[in-house]
Amino acid sequence: MTVFADILILFGGLIALLSAIGLLRFSTPYARFHAAGKASPIALMVVALGASLKLGAAGAALLAIAATAMILTLPVGVHLLFRAVHRTTESSHLVVDELAPAEAAAEPPTV
Amino acid sequence: MATAAIVLFVIAGLGGTYRLLAGPSLADRIIALDVLLISFMCALAVNAADTGNTNNLIMLVVLAIIGFTATVAAARFLQYEHTQPGQATSPKDISS
Repeated sequence: MTVFADILILFGGLIALLSAIGLLRFSTPYARFHAAGKASPIALMVVALGASLKLGAAGAALLAIAATAMILTLPVGVHLLFRAVHRTTESSHLVVDELAPAEAAAEPPTV
Repeated sequence: MATAAIVLFVIAGLGGTYRLLAGPSLADRIIALDVLLISFMCALAVNAADTGNTNNLIMLVVLAIIGFTATVAAARFLQYEHTQPGQATSPKDISS
């Protein structure tokens, strides 16, 4: 069981490293946000799984709360960042842009 | 093992720090802060698993909530950064 926990923790470290590499190497803001915002909560979830295998019930409860909160909230925040970037910058490099006609047809935002 | 994992998280945090300092836009800096925060949270979890001390794990919950609030507030600020006071705030005006 301890070896399995070690493997999970190292695997989470590799996922965090991959997300940082994607944040550094990609060329457009959308690709960078995608790499950083989707891979990072998965890294935290894998690490929390490995750590809770080592810690037992008392640590596993807190780790489960933290990992669930992060994996529910971080994609939402990154999605808001996507929308803010789409509204404030030119996005002519996109192949498919479904947000621009949807926002042009919608009511002015109230929030 | 714990040392190797923490070295991986430090390398990921260094990548986030480079993007934080050199990011071409404000949104890149915000997402780099998120990557830094997650690297720190992972290192905290690995430290707790290594020492068996669960006292610091409540910090993970607090950091998750604070990180979400900071990202949402910064995204809202960024969205209306280019809008002048009194100007209409339709999406067409914001995007121009």
